[in-house]
Amino acid sequence: MTGHMRTTGLLIAALGLIGVLGFAAPIRAAELNAADTVLTGISTPKAEDIAAKGDPGAELYGTANDVTMADAKKGLTLADLANQAGQNKVAINFVWTLIAGFLVMFMQAGFAIVETGLCRAKNANHTMMMNFMVYGLGLFAYWVCGFAIQMGGSAPIANLGGVYPVNSEYVVNFLGKPWALFGTKGFFLSGATYDVGVMVLFLFQMVFMDTTTTIVTGSCAERWKYSAFAVSTIFLGALIYPLFGNWAWGCGWLSQLGVNFGLGHGYCDFAGSGVVHAVGGLTAMAVAMQLGPRIGKYNRDGSPNAIPGHDLSYVMLGCFILAFGWFGFNPGSTLGASGNGALRIGSIAVNTMLAGCTGSFAALLYMWIRYGKPDASMAGNGLLAGLVAITAPSGFVNTLSAAIIGWVAGILVCLGVEFFDRAAKIDDPVGAMSVHGINGLWGVLSVGLFADGRSNYGGSWNGVSGSVTGLFYGDAGQLVAQLIGIATLVGVIFTMSYLVNWLVDLVVGQRVAAKVELNGLDIPEMGALCYPDFQLKASDYPVAAGGSSVASSAAAYKG
Amino acid sequence: MRLIGVLCVLGGWALAVAGLFITSSTGGRMLIACLGIGVSLYGSLGVLNGYYLERAIWKK
Repeated sequence: MTGHMRTTGLLIAALGLIGVLGFAAPIRAAELNAADTVLTGISTPKAEDIAAKGDPGAELYGTANDVTMADAKKGLTLADLANQAGQNKVAINFVWTLIAGFLVMFMQAGFAIVETGLCRAKNANHTMMMNFMVYGLGLFAYWVCGFAIQMGGSAPIANLGGVYPVNSEYVVNFLGKPWALFGTKGFFLSGATYDVGVMVLFLFQMVFMDTTTTIVTGSCAERWKYSAFAVSTIFLGALIYPLFGNWAWGCGWLSQLGVNFGLGHGYCDFAGSGVVHAVGGLTAMAVAMQLGPRIGKYNRDGSPNAIPGHDLSYVMLGCFILAFGWFGFNPGSTLGASGNGALRIGSIAVNTMLAGCTGSFAALLYMWIRYGKPDASMAGNGLLAGLVAITAPSGFVNTLSAAIIGWVAGILVCLGVEFFDRAAKIDDPVGAMSVHGINGLWGVLSVGLFADGRSNYGGSWNGVSGSVTGLFYGDAGQLVAQLIGIATLVGVIFTMSYLVNWLVDLVVGQRVAAKVELNGLDIPEMGALCYPDFQLKASDYPVAAGGSSVASSAAAYKG
Repeated sequence: MRLIGVLCVLGGWALAVAGLFITSSTGGRMLIACLGIGVSLYGSLGVLNGYYLERAIWKK
């Protein structure tokens, strides 16, 4: 009975509000003052009833009693209702974004065990500790200046209540066009950026940056000096990642290609195939190239040897953890679940799931047909490749496109591993350059091909009204914007990473000594074995084939 | 050699962006952007990586 009365009362109040706002618009300003319009006739449960009987049916909690009143003596007003509705929207979006951020943070665990599992037992502590410390090093660098550079001029972000304190972008005018280069608010999260909305944005963006830094540790594992890794990670988190993040997500020049040059909706990267994965993959390539291959990876004739990891169960479990975390990565990038088309999170989650599935399936089939066995580690890499590729287009494509994008990614990752292993001869113990680099770029490109023009995030994207639409749905300009993004990634970001790590090599030295590498990095670099009770082989570089040339390589290093 | 590689990689990006000013045709911009990406990839995988491959440890 009480419930019916409450519902009726609220219904009358709502109808009255609609009537006043909708049909009496001309007199609204004159006669309706929301702050003075007190709502009466709302029946609510009494506290003593709840105290006596409890509320097992969840009928008594969540009523007009729970709406915060500005003035309790005056009673519940229309203004109170409107303010509560606004607060609820922002609260829903804060909670959604934070939980999504927590999921992405947990991806660090997935990366840690995937990479450690794909390395040899003698380097397990070193690999695990690189993955562990990217969290601390990256967070510190991002708090000091990375966040400000990336998001310091990104306001307003409506879903998070505006985040108005981050409202300053450094812009230069060149050839008659404005080029927004980096943000200038939010260093140390101090001053006006001590703001609840900014904090939510910081947490979410920080865990994305951390994902980028952890990609590099995989490609450079088993021979990277820990001190060099630490310095390199700080540069990546403080400068390189934030710059591209600003250009794509912080109202920077790439995102404004639509406004300034009429190229679709400017560079579009929904959750970071380019910003996160391609930046990580290309940086990994720049460092791995300078480090050189592990001793024993190549024979004297240049033919490669496989160096198997020590724990396949780690690898597969890590892939599952990463796939789970990706549900924070992509759907969380709406930065909310309420308002501005954020209800599309359901579609984004399904796209994410589908692309991972088809990527894994395609990679498994490729390996089975080509090599006669369904390779487990490549099936895992196929899953990750599909997830990486769908990250940029997840918010703009339908499920069929998502499945195709994932399928192509699964093939690409296999071809990529073969290319880097045999043609480019850049040693990548975990396949990160193929998973994140190649498929990050493929994800960026696929937005320009498959975006179906059906998404609607508040009526516009990157300042251009309408929906993001790719070549196959009629907008070739969007594809050009994506190509400019890819050119920037392979041209500018790779160069920055290369130069920074060249400098690190000159000052710190990137690679460990040959003796350290042969005996394993755990004791010399970290001071402790990961598996002290296990019998480890001191120089377990692989296979009989080419053994002599491997020994020659080792001897050359020792010399 | 490494400096030439770096300049080549950067030059590819500059070419892609210059395409935005060289022509207003979408097809033309697309073509120039692809050309720029190709130049950058040649610079990184061809020139720069070639430098390291010449000095590869397995050749010593």
